[in-house]
Amino acid sequence: MSLRKQTPSDFLKQIIGRPVVVKLNSGVDYRGVLACLDGYMNIAIEQTEEYVNGQLKNKYGDAFLRGNNDTRHALYPVCDLISNFCTSAPRRGKSSEDHFEFI
Amino acid sequence: KVDEREQPTTNTVEEPLDLIRLSLDERIYVKMRNDRELRGRLHAYDQHLNMILGDVEETVTTVEIDEETYEELYKSTKRNIPMLFVRGDGVVLVAPPLRVG
Repeated sequence: MSLRKQTPSDFLKQIIGRPVVVKLNSGVDYRGVLACLDGYMNIAIEQTEEYVNGQLKNKYGDAFLRGNNDTRHALYPVCDLISNFCTSAPRRGKSSEDHFEFI
Repeated sequence: KVDEREQPTTNTVEEPLDLIRLSLDERIYVKMRNDRELRGRLHAYDQHLNMILGDVEETVTTVEIDEETYEELYKSTKRNIPMLFVRGDGVVLVAPPLRVG
């Protein structure tokens, strides 16, 4: 992957459809195919599986993960793309920790 | 410096919130912070994921650990609420009701 800056639209087109792991600060993993996401890092995932230690629940169809909580979403394997994209999401002005840091 | 998220001018990419709109008037499953889960009918929502849910069953799950055996005892408490306003900042996940997999 090149390190050039990309517009958000280009970024979205590149990562949609790829398998991802969304790791929340609460220790829960969600694995599935990235259906879409928006500028607030709200995420829609298809064929989602939820892992807490072992496998807990299967969610078929779409699962929507709320962005911009005090959870932090690390998207694998797209970390390289995200570091080119941005280091923070727009502030909502509600909570003190309302931006993302990408690993 | 990126000031604002650009919205694509052509709607080749749907936002996750657009897909939640498809669940309006359907029963949904909501996972909240503090080990709470809701199952109810989605009447309304907004960009903060504030929601109005009808005919809701709330499940609160707690884990007690026996100090001697280190056994984990899971307890869940349920209650039913006819109509509920959910503040969006507590929402973690929204999905169609869980099916047996």
